[in-house]
Amino acid sequence: MRALLLWVIPALALALVPLWIQSPYALHIFILLFIAVALGESWNVIGGFAGQYSVGHAAWYGLGAYGAFILLLRKGIPPWFGVWAAVALAVIIALAVGWITFRLRGPYFVLASIAVAEIIRLAALNWKIVTNGAEGILGSDLPPLQIGGTVITDWNSKIPYYYLGLLMAVFCVAVNFVVKRSKLGYYLQAIREDQDAAHSLGIPLTFYKNTALGISAACTALTGSFAAFYVGFIEPQGVFGIDVSIQMVLTCIIGGIGTVTGPLLGAVVLVLLSEWLRASLAQAHLLVYGVLVIAVILLMPDGFVGFIAHRLRKKAAGR
Amino acid sequence: MAVFLQSLLSGVLIGGVYALIGIGLTLIFGVMRVINFAQGELVMIGMYCTFFLFKLAGIDPFLSVVLTMPALFVVGAVLQRSLINRVLDALPQNQILLTIGLGLVLSNTAMLVFTSDYRILSTTYSSSSVGLGSIRLSTPLLYSFLITGAITAALYWFLARTDTGHAIRATAQDRDAAQLMGVNVRHMGVLAFGLGSALAGAAGALIAPIYYIYPQVGGAFTLKAFVVVVLGGMGSIVGATLGGVLIGMIESLSALYIASGMKELCVYVIFLLVLLLKPSGLLGKSRT
Amino acid sequence: MRPLLEVRNVSRYFGGVKANEDVTFSVEPGIVLGLIGPNGAGKTTLFNCITGFYPPSRGEILFDGQRINGFPPDKVCKLGMARTWQKVRPLAKLTVLENVVVGALCRTASVSQAKGIALEHLRVVGLEKRAQVLAGGLPIGERKKLELARVLATKPRMILLDEVMGGLNARESEEIIRLILDVKKRGLTQVVIEHDMKAIVRTCDRIVVLSSGEKLAEGTPQEIVNDPRVMTAYLGDSGGAKA
Repeated sequence: MRALLLWVIPALALALVPLWIQSPYALHIFILLFIAVALGESWNVIGGFAGQYSVGHAAWYGLGAYGAFILLLRKGIPPWFGVWAAVALAVIIALAVGWITFRLRGPYFVLASIAVAEIIRLAALNWKIVTNGAEGILGSDLPPLQIGGTVITDWNSKIPYYYLGLLMAVFCVAVNFVVKRSKLGYYLQAIREDQDAAHSLGIPLTFYKNTALGISAACTALTGSFAAFYVGFIEPQGVFGIDVSIQMVLTCIIGGIGTVTGPLLGAVVLVLLSEWLRASLAQAHLLVYGVLVIAVILLMPDGFVGFIAHRLRKKAAGR
Repeated sequence: MAVFLQSLLSGVLIGGVYALIGIGLTLIFGVMRVINFAQGELVMIGMYCTFFLFKLAGIDPFLSVVLTMPALFVVGAVLQRSLINRVLDALPQNQILLTIGLGLVLSNTAMLVFTSDYRILSTTYSSSSVGLGSIRLSTPLLYSFLITGAITAALYWFLARTDTGHAIRATAQDRDAAQLMGVNVRHMGVLAFGLGSALAGAAGALIAPIYYIYPQVGGAFTLKAFVVVVLGGMGSIVGATLGGVLIGMIESLSALYIASGMKELCVYVIFLLVLLLKPSGLLGKSRT
Repeated sequence: MRPLLEVRNVSRYFGGVKANEDVTFSVEPGIVLGLIGPNGAGKTTLFNCITGFYPPSRGEILFDGQRINGFPPDKVCKLGMARTWQKVRPLAKLTVLENVVVGALCRTASVSQAKGIALEHLRVVGLEKRAQVLAGGLPIGERKKLELARVLATKPRMILLDEVMGGLNARESEEIIRLILDVKKRGLTQVVIEHDMKAIVRTCDRIVVLSSGEKLAEGTPQEIVNDPRVMTAYLGDSGGAKA
């Protein structure tokens, strides 16, 4: 339970930030951070715990984005309902994809995940009637959120997005926290460590991999919807592109896959670094990602968190 | 009918270039079991080299291949010694991520150095075509196919007839056994990556007159190369050759009969089907 | 009494290779059956068929009267048959305790309950002091014991041990032998693949000998040790080898 406190206190602190910091740019950075954390933690469930490296998670991100957007703009369904439909769509497709691709191992699974995301991207690009193709969809003003007669927010400042983003990030971290300690978490990690051994210990592989994927896709789609409404504009390359998928993976690799804090750390490092370098590197800020991932894989394959944990373990063993 | 044949043949011609990229990829995988996600970026480097050799020194792209290939060989050898060599024993997923990172570094460095502007390399014969009955085939495509054929033939000869070629094939078949026979497998790794890069460079030189040249162009080639390699079977050079031509044809025909935007989609769907139904490819050796 | 495991005319082919050919034997509940034979005789292949990693090409496998051909490994484990591996397979990045918890979770959904069961089994094999050590860092002797604890945590009715003493020194082997006899006292049925003949003779009630994929002989340890065909299978036909 001490571990829980370690999470609750920073979360509360973050909740109080907008009382002191009003600058839209600063709030924007926080929101980007929340999105990155949520995405990293979402990917972690399938990639970190289960060891299934999907490099096609942009598929679920984009489905969340397009789903909620289209429901609002074509059917007038407000985002707080539309989001769930988009998430459901993403999960259904994810489970179908998982069912057919989880028989593939290692690098073949990676390739298949990329192919699936590309297929969905190309479908979105070409199905112009629904998605507007490469022109993308420009969001309209969000309807005000009201309960009864009271308007809670009309979405005109960054603050409601800040709190929603924080809630989303906290939710995804909480999901990781709960999964790791549950039977699901143990089973996923067993699958990651040695699939055949896990199988022989009574673990039905496809069922658990799919459960992880379902959870992961749901969280990713949720984040995708949120990000779409925050940014206000979506187009196929931006939400389904392989860059999005790669960034999710890198967040976890750099921070430390399979841990709850790893993706958090990775997200903070990546977002802050690329914002800082955006001035000097502009479009090429992804260079930072590339260099970092190479450095991490060569020097600390378990990410920052894994590296630190390893050091602590050595100290504790008195070596 | 003529339209069909023309499309088919154009597909075969461009397929030759896809095959080159795929052969490089499959060679690297065969010898080191590493899946090189930066293969497309190596093509991109080849394209830029060719562009600048043409713009600054006036060397025709189809001639500068002779320069681009050794240059990319050196680049590949350096990359192998400094990076790839260190992850040969790592998890395959980590190897893939390393090469993905490498790809990002290469494409973004190119963006910094060359800007994202699209470059066009046009020669005097860029838009001319050759007639074969009622079919017209693009001249640059035809040249690139002929050169691809020459390079591929040279590669086959090298692998089949020289001692080093045998050593490479031995390493690909069974690394430990080859080592016990006295093959320096580390050198084979460097050689394989160097050769794979040289082939990517050659492909870059050959398509520079046909494609837009920009830093991000590599990504699409990498993915296409994977489709080619999986179709032909990981580790099979003959497979990659046939796979490249097949993909070229499928792309060309689907652009003709379905829609230009759908041709990539078709390729990926076929890719997925092959992965699921016959992962060892049409000609591949199944490896675990 | 109905045999717990029945292997009837099981054959397994890989392409043109005959890994197992027409093997038949049964295992009564509560006994320890030794499965011996020279390297390449098809012992591990048989284990893999029995536990569901691939189905037999021909023949039937019955567990407690139920035909289990083609059942996936997780279903076989849930039915009560668990196996260890010739090349140990620890879940390296998990701790010793977590490894056994994975086994225990086969029978419970509660992690805390599983932890209790896991600790119990660690005590049985003598690894309770190593509970927080990462499994990947264990020496071979402890890895074997961990694997044993892990399969026992799945509450099996029968365990299949594949060369559980491979690579161990005399003291470590002695501990394993003691554990096998201990486990037998609790009523578990065991099939043990082993090369160490002394261990086999001490632990096994019956022995089945495989050679080149086929069953060569079956009997009590005394009978097998004195069977000249068995000697020949192991040492090759050197013209009248004495038993």
